[in-house]
Amino acid sequence: MPHPVELHSLTKTYGERTVVDRVSFHVGQGEIVGFLGPNGAGKTTTLRMIAGYLAPTSGQVTVAGQDVVSSPATSASAIGYAPERPALYDSFDVLGYLRFVARAKRVHRADTASQIDRVVAACRLEAVAQSEVYKLSKGYRQRLGLAQALLGHPEVLLLDEPTSGLDPGQISETREVIRSFGRDHSVLLSTHILPEVTLLCDRIAILHHGRLLAIDSPSGLGAAVGRANRVELQVAPNGPPDLKDRLLDVGGVVRVDIDDRQVPCSVSCAVDSSGNVEAAIARAVSRDWELLALRRHDPSLEDVFLHYVESAA
Amino acid sequence: MNGVLAVYGKEIKLYFRSPIAYFILAVFLLGTGYFFSYNLFVSGLATMRETFQNMGLLAVILLPAVSMRLFATEYSAGTYELLATLPLAPWEVVVGKYLGALTMLGLMALGTMLDLVPLYLFGAPETTTIISGYLGFLLLGSACLAIGQLCSSLTRNQIVAALVTVSILLGFWFVGHLQSFQTVQFLRELFLNISFAWHFGEFIEGLARFESLALFVLFSAGALILNVCALEWRR
Repeated sequence: MPHPVELHSLTKTYGERTVVDRVSFHVGQGEIVGFLGPNGAGKTTTLRMIAGYLAPTSGQVTVAGQDVVSSPATSASAIGYAPERPALYDSFDVLGYLRFVARAKRVHRADTASQIDRVVAACRLEAVAQSEVYKLSKGYRQRLGLAQALLGHPEVLLLDEPTSGLDPGQISETREVIRSFGRDHSVLLSTHILPEVTLLCDRIAILHHGRLLAIDSPSGLGAAVGRANRVELQVAPNGPPDLKDRLLDVGGVVRVDIDDRQVPCSVSCAVDSSGNVEAAIARAVSRDWELLALRRHDPSLEDVFLHYVESAA
Repeated sequence: MNGVLAVYGKEIKLYFRSPIAYFILAVFLLGTGYFFSYNLFVSGLATMRETFQNMGLLAVILLPAVSMRLFATEYSAGTYELLATLPLAPWEVVVGKYLGALTMLGLMALGTMLDLVPLYLFGAPETTTIISGYLGFLLLGSACLAIGQLCSSLTRNQIVAALVTVSILLGFWFVGHLQSFQTVQFLRELFLNISFAWHFGEFIEGLARFESLALFVLFSAGALILNVCALEWRR
């Protein structure tokens, strides 16, 4: 059975410039995948190709088993897409705008009112339901953009920076909407906000210069960059001077930095993630030095992201 | 067809929620009303012939203001991204928008029918000539709107769309005048046969000829097909 979203070697070029370079991954049923990458990484272009707004130069995208290029209308029926800049008609009122989108999505006339009520409630738009769109604040505009994407019970939700410009309360509410939608549907969201992907996403795709550098669960990504793990020590400077050599002799320790300008001195060991290296370090140090503290420092998502981006650079 | 109707409904709302539709209708009806009154009371001509001629030229100048926003504003406002990602085929978007613009054209024609009241009250106009004139006006307007919509689909700037459309339409309106400068028979016939003014003039005279009808239909259909291609090409 095909996954709700599948990308096969997706590529987009503009002249000589390759914006998306042979990107392949899938989004499973009921899965939330976060798209992480610096500005210009190709996140929006990839989302636009999945949504059918742009045609790929090469490669293939299927949504709900339908090729986006050869069956655009069928695949579009399975997608709810909220662009980064909400695509709203300013002279419409909120309900009129949602009615237009519902009609264009072929929502049955008898279901239109109930579906609109549902998305208005889910996106907390009740207070502005009768207002004209041009009068809405940025936060409400963003939420109306999300509401139109939710209409028609799409199988796949594509969200480009869904919380950009929202205040903390609105961000929390929007995340809750995405989380509840993601229980039964597939969500692909792009964001710059690292905690957002940690809070929301089952898997994270890291994109840089149009190339997919990694895709895995947050813990999987952390493990994959295990070489960046560190063990921090506090050691009293009362032993022999060959602390660095002794630590480098410990299996799994790949680098040692000692700051002995202060008392106690701080030692940072870059370690291979395999095995319980902390115990071996503790044994090696305790023999001739007084070990005051030892702490494993696991990589944060920021470390993971920077590791991949810097490695690619 | 649902997609066409959804886009059509949106277009009608957009026209009448902005002042531009009312402004264009007002200018058109004031202009045609002025020429009709002048012909009736000053020149003593109790026919629609001269009024139709003025309606044609006013349409060529004013209809680009109707068509200029059709795609250009969607691009500049970012709303085309929504249209292109909804389950709507490009032809449904093109036809829906075109029908919206044709509704404006129909309202313009409908407004001028007030002029017929005094004509029928105080004169004996030829009904078939009047029907032919209105048919010609609607066909001319349809071609103008299709060309304008195509121009609008090629730019983000609606002023550019309007200026390019007016230039093209005036070119097709006046191209018939070039035939008198030509000695080559083929060019003389070509300039005459693609002249909007000449074909529209035939309708005003009560000659609803197939060639004239076909020319306007071909221009409309050709521009709409190119419009669909332009949207496909944008992807």
